[in-house]
Amino acid sequence: MTSEGWIFMIVSITFVVALTAWCYYRVLTSPGESTEPPETLGG
Amino acid sequence: MPQNPYEAGQAKPVAQQPLQPATGHDRWTTRLGVILAVAGSAVGLGNFLRFPGQAAENGGGAFMIPYFCALILLGIPIGWAEWAMGRYGGGRGFHSAPAILGSLAGRAGRYLGVIGVMIPLCVAFYYILIEAWCLAYFWHFLTGGIGIDLAQPISDQVAVSKTFFDDITGSKVEGLMFEGYIHESVVFWAIVFSLNLIFVYRGLSGGIELFCRFAMPLMAICGLIVLVRVLTLGTPDAQLPQQNVNEGLGFMWNPDFEKLKDFKAWLAAAGQIFFSLSVGFGVIINYASYLRRRDDVVLSGLTASATNEFFEVCLGGLITIPAAVAFLGLTLTQTAAGSSFSLGFHTLPVVFAHMPLGNFFGAVWFLMLFLAAITSSLSMLQPAKAFLQEALNVGRNTATTIVSLVVFGGSLFVIWFSEGLIALDTLDFWVGTFLIFVFATVQIIVFGWVFGIDRGIAEAEQGAQMRIPWVFRFIMKYVTPTYLLVVFGGFVYQNVDQYFNEPEKSTLQKIVDNVVAQYSLLLLAAVLVGLLVAIRFGEKRWLKVPAPASKTAEVDYPVTHPGP
Repeated sequence: MTSEGWIFMIVSITFVVALTAWCYYRVLTSPGESTEPPETLGG
Repeated sequence: MPQNPYEAGQAKPVAQQPLQPATGHDRWTTRLGVILAVAGSAVGLGNFLRFPGQAAENGGGAFMIPYFCALILLGIPIGWAEWAMGRYGGGRGFHSAPAILGSLAGRAGRYLGVIGVMIPLCVAFYYILIEAWCLAYFWHFLTGGIGIDLAQPISDQVAVSKTFFDDITGSKVEGLMFEGYIHESVVFWAIVFSLNLIFVYRGLSGGIELFCRFAMPLMAICGLIVLVRVLTLGTPDAQLPQQNVNEGLGFMWNPDFEKLKDFKAWLAAAGQIFFSLSVGFGVIINYASYLRRRDDVVLSGLTASATNEFFEVCLGGLITIPAAVAFLGLTLTQTAAGSSFSLGFHTLPVVFAHMPLGNFFGAVWFLMLFLAAITSSLSMLQPAKAFLQEALNVGRNTATTIVSLVVFGGSLFVIWFSEGLIALDTLDFWVGTFLIFVFATVQIIVFGWVFGIDRGIAEAEQGAQMRIPWVFRFIMKYVTPTYLLVVFGGFVYQNVDQYFNEPEKSTLQKIVDNVVAQYSLLLLAAVLVGLLVAIRFGEKRWLKVPAPASKTAEVDYPVTHPGP
């Protein structure tokens, strides 16, 4: 693999992993995550 | 006299009386659950089999430039629009695309919304069958492989693998699966169909959400196991030093910038993002409708998209092609890379046969593909189920039974007309490709131009845990629809051009020539007519939605954020 190939691979994977990790960090540390039942059915 | 808010598209997103209290709609129980369910719907075989082939054929690493452009300009904006419109509709008691789009765009939206029910329903006709193939391959690898003899030349090994595939799919003879005995594929299909039924009957939180909460992490674990195995293969055969993982990674990732001058690469990248993220599929708008009014959709939508990208780029991009090159060489891999079925079901079984502990890794790989497929197929029945509940005012179990019978009939059609997989290909082209373009275009235009971009963004940001960057107002209103229309134009041109210049490869030509393709179109027409009739019943009831009861209900979208 060429050095350009390595660069494209590393940048692409780093971008995706960083984005995914950031998203899950925000989701899992937010207060919005709850298991409460819905207030009303259907609406 | 209060104006009917449904017809006028003016209703405010406040909690109203449920439209059909008797039917008892579902809800998601956790935000992580809905994210994993949406991501599960998006992650499918295309992530592992289609993406690497598309990238290798269209510029390798350079393909990632148009790919990420399409992600930012098409995938994420359309996803946000779907999440926002879905939750908006759900807040008013609607859970199906026709009712939701009808509440935003009147009658036209209602009838165009039928596409959002038809796509997942008809894709399920053949997708459940492909899922059964994955389970069959998993079973065979678990119990000793598919009979590849390593003493034979590679070409013979691939031939054995192809014969196995033809046998599993019945692609050599029409109706093979019903010729006097129960074919093993029918048994696997029955198992898979029953599994889908059980989880859909159990409902959203007790079935789909519960399953995805376990299946998605398990899928990631399976993928990581195979990834570590592939990346540590080195040079499997010392006699063939040119066949190694490094070469495979190079074939996949070395950039060829010349390819970027070709419109086809941009079209392929947009198509890959589009189909991979399941935007325009009719599932996200339905799933989001079960969220509560103050539930976040912006971060959730982005997280579901990011999850899909993780499976696609980090697992799909590093496993399939490098493993194939390491064992089979560049020439064979290049031949297989253009077709998902060829790469996944002809070539990879040979790769696993060569690998130390190959049956174990083959089983893990096909288990991962099976999980990817079932988390997608579970999402396909839910929109039609919700639609029947709303349109015909039937209960959840009745709706599920009707949907199951329709999918059962559609699946039998695809199983029966198995020769050359013509029925499957035709349904996939018209529903799984063409209609998705149409429905995504409809949705982004409704969101940006009918609902209104400012109102739409404000709706999306209700309860959101991150702001939609300002530039996306411009992107979602102008860039995404234009990009979609250009891609759609390119797609139509490509197919018409193929019809005239390469008729032997053309799907349009197949329809003209092949009676099974024509039957498949008749099947689609029958489903469409059935759904349109159901809408006629439904709209009479939907138009009776009461106007907001109080002045507070008229308050429009205060944009509030808890901060970044």
